[in-house]
Amino acid sequence: MKYDFLDTDVLARLGALPLESRTPMIGSVAGRHRSPHRGSSVEFAEYRKYVPGDDTRRLDWKAYARSDRYYIKEFEADTNLRAYFVVDSSGSMNFSSGDHPTKIDFARRIAATLSYLIVNQGDSAGLSCCNEKLHLEIPPSRRAAQLQAIFDSLQNLEPTGGTGLVSALHQIAEKIQQRALVVILSDLFVDTDELGDALQHLRFRKHDIAMFHLLDPQEVDFHFERPHRFVDLEDGTTIVAEPNLIADEYHAALKEFLANVETKCHDVHADYHLFQTSADYEEIISNFITTRLTKKR
Amino acid sequence: MSFLSQPILWGLFAATIPVIIHLLNRRRFRTVKWAATSFLLKASRESRGKKKLKHFLILACRALAIAALIFAVARPLIGGFLGSGSGSVGTVVLILDRSASMETKPGSGQLSHRQSVINKIAEAVENMGSPRLVLIDSASGEIQEVPSPDALSELSTTYATDTRADIPTLLTKAIDYLDETNPGQSEIWVASDLQRGDWQPSDSRWGAIQAGLEGLPTKTNLRILTAGEETVENLTLELLASRRIEDDLFLDLKLTRLEGDGTTTIPITYSLKGTRNSERVTMNGQELRFQKRFPLTAADPEGYGWVGIPPDNNPRDNSVYFAFGGKEPVKSWIVSEDPTSPTAGYLQKAAAPAGFERYSCEVVAPTQTTKIDWATASLIIWQAPIPTGAVASQLNDFVTSGGSALFFPPNQPSPGVIFGTSWGEIVDAPADQFFINGTWIKDDGPWQNGTNDTALPVDQVRGVKRRSIQGDGSSLAEWDDGSPLLYRQLEGLGTSIFISTLPDDRWSNIEFVALHLVAIQRLLEQGTDRLHAGYRAVAGSDKARAREDEVRERLDTFEDYEPALEHYRAGVYRLGDRTIAVNRPSEENSPTRIDEEALDELLKGTSYTLFANDDSKSDLVSEAWRAFLVAVLLFLLAEALLCLQPKSTGRPSLKASANTSPAS
Repeated sequence: MKYDFLDTDVLARLGALPLESRTPMIGSVAGRHRSPHRGSSVEFAEYRKYVPGDDTRRLDWKAYARSDRYYIKEFEADTNLRAYFVVDSSGSMNFSSGDHPTKIDFARRIAATLSYLIVNQGDSAGLSCCNEKLHLEIPPSRRAAQLQAIFDSLQNLEPTGGTGLVSALHQIAEKIQQRALVVILSDLFVDTDELGDALQHLRFRKHDIAMFHLLDPQEVDFHFERPHRFVDLEDGTTIVAEPNLIADEYHAALKEFLANVETKCHDVHADYHLFQTSADYEEIISNFITTRLTKKR
Repeated sequence: MSFLSQPILWGLFAATIPVIIHLLNRRRFRTVKWAATSFLLKASRESRGKKKLKHFLILACRALAIAALIFAVARPLIGGFLGSGSGSVGTVVLILDRSASMETKPGSGQLSHRQSVINKIAEAVENMGSPRLVLIDSASGEIQEVPSPDALSELSTTYATDTRADIPTLLTKAIDYLDETNPGQSEIWVASDLQRGDWQPSDSRWGAIQAGLEGLPTKTNLRILTAGEETVENLTLELLASRRIEDDLFLDLKLTRLEGDGTTTIPITYSLKGTRNSERVTMNGQELRFQKRFPLTAADPEGYGWVGIPPDNNPRDNSVYFAFGGKEPVKSWIVSEDPTSPTAGYLQKAAAPAGFERYSCEVVAPTQTTKIDWATASLIIWQAPIPTGAVASQLNDFVTSGGSALFFPPNQPSPGVIFGTSWGEIVDAPADQFFINGTWIKDDGPWQNGTNDTALPVDQVRGVKRRSIQGDGSSLAEWDDGSPLLYRQLEGLGTSIFISTLPDDRWSNIEFVALHLVAIQRLLEQGTDRLHAGYRAVAGSDKARAREDEVRERLDTFEDYEPALEHYRAGVYRLGDRTIAVNRPSEENSPTRIDEEALDELLKGTSYTLFANDDSKSDLVSEAWRAFLVAVLLFLLAEALLCLQPKSTGRPSLKASANTSPAS
């Protein structure tokens, strides 16, 4: 089965880039990501005093020779990354103007490509989709078959209904027990204060949040020549308006919304990426991965 | 406002085109599925007020620009004279008041009202696309087609005259003309100063004029162009009477001024047979009556002259003219119920005082009235029952033609009525009491003050018997109980006076205080004036017109002779072998105008408009298409400015600042 949202050339080009977690992860197996626990990697962490019961093999004899005291030498523990992709599949994600892909298509490409990269580097990837409610959950797994499940789910995703992203994020925050990378793909047409609360919830659970905020170019430009009847994609509400008369007010409202969203994301140290669906998704993913490399601590 | 091309105004419906396009455009919307509806709702809410207003203003500018363009193409005429709703006019019938009062100027160096009106009407007619102009001037009353509006001021039929205007007659002529010729869409314009004497509000023809205007084949607007409201300073000289008595010529003159009532000294110039002299009179108040006496010699069988005052705002009322002939006998007749009574004797002495050879008086009984030579009589004194039948008719004709009649109460019953007046009962005063005089009018009538303003001893009148007077005339003197003592009834050109008591000791002391003498002499003067009427004429009258065999020659030197104006100008003329002094009609000396209320009453039921000509208003009518074209430009400019988008807040920048601080 061929997936439209997967481009093998892109996968090949991005395959060499490792996706890093910005925060320590708690994984079930050893991996390439930092863990908050001490482990057996080659990277020195700290010295601590020997206490009875410690494995004597871990005594640092050289330190004993210098100081005549027993020290245990500890190393960083590396673990794997669990990534949760939360894709907004509400009706508004089905919007597209001109030749650009719909927002859901764009979200599919990003989610699928990143999933592929994550699983390929030995980490786990899972998928959650929500519209009015959380209707699909694929728990993270590092098995190769996981990708098939994720891709199939993305392929079959039909954007419809209202946006229940906020409640979905709350549910996800409650369900994920261990630290994880939560990647949100949505147009975020929700109440920004409620969104802020949901993000705070995830932050409280010490998850690393990455936010892909998708907008169609027409939604940003709002350039129409004549009166239009706008039919809401989610609830069918109809508004007849003359866009050239209200463009300024529209842009002002949009600006306020974007500023609010950015502030909320900033408050929770989310990795916020805003872009239009006319952009090159490969470049977006590439930037996402490389900026995370520089941000890693 | 009116329009030369009124049908083009149908194009005003085109002003709705922008609105229709807007509405159609609103209905031709496209449907688009949209995600960011919340921003759309918010934007629509916020832009509802100001933006909608702006949009309406833009639409209004577009509609108004089209409307202004249509108005400009329809060739609008502005100026209050045409009023509103006037369409294109095919014929204008202009009634031009050329009376002397129209020569009043609003100020020094300015045009007279007549000249100003003519100029403005010429401009207005030209601006209206030069419709056919038909002139009816007040002097000749003839209907004349004016070839071009420019020629209006050149026509001799628009020159100044000293005549009066008979507006009802002129309006009737205009209506008849329009009725007969039916020239299509027409208007009647009346250029007049609304002088009461010219408009004659009491004339019975006004009803017919109203009906005539309403009954014209096409609806005809009547527009009246009158002088401004302001009253200008002007002095009017009027000749009340001129008569030769023995070797003296008496001129009764009156000065009237419109503005100011302080004391002013006015130089009066007199010219008698080419010899001029002047003197000053002091005027205190609005009116001054005075008498000028010229001593003549026996070698002056006839003569002429003029009296003038300095130039002022109306040059046509600054002079009067007179001419006189030889001595005329002053004949009076007394009709007495008892020709042998002392009363008849007193009256006869008063009418023909001893020593005055020209004065004669004959006493006859009521049965002898056939003896009376009505043609040469100056005064008829009637102390007998009021006549009826043929005698009453003769007496009526005598008074109507300018004669004077003085009635004293008869002792006999007198059931007759003459001049609407009859005698009532004879009343005796209560024992040991008199009827005494109450009030009397001191500036009018036979017992008015003398020329030096000396009052007559009317307050000394005592009566023991009187006869009441019944009629609708005016009381010039009354007894203390309000009953008339001296009563006047004007009839035609003459005057009839009734005195309710007799110059007889058994009636009153009138004979003692000689009031009967004063009344008789003053009435004789008036009556004699009738006999000198051959030397006088009113400007514009047939009498002033030269007959076929007569050649007109102006004798006086007050102003140059204008042959084109013939008998319409005042002056002293020799017409063949007769000399005649032509003066303004007395109506022209009255400054009284009819007000708008009276005009409404006269033209009730007609659609007339009244426009006051004022020098501050440059044109009566002017084309205003330029103003509308400017309005088009302004509206388009305003529309363009409104359509200019203010500096947009712009689309939001999507350069998100990603958080670079990972959670710890």
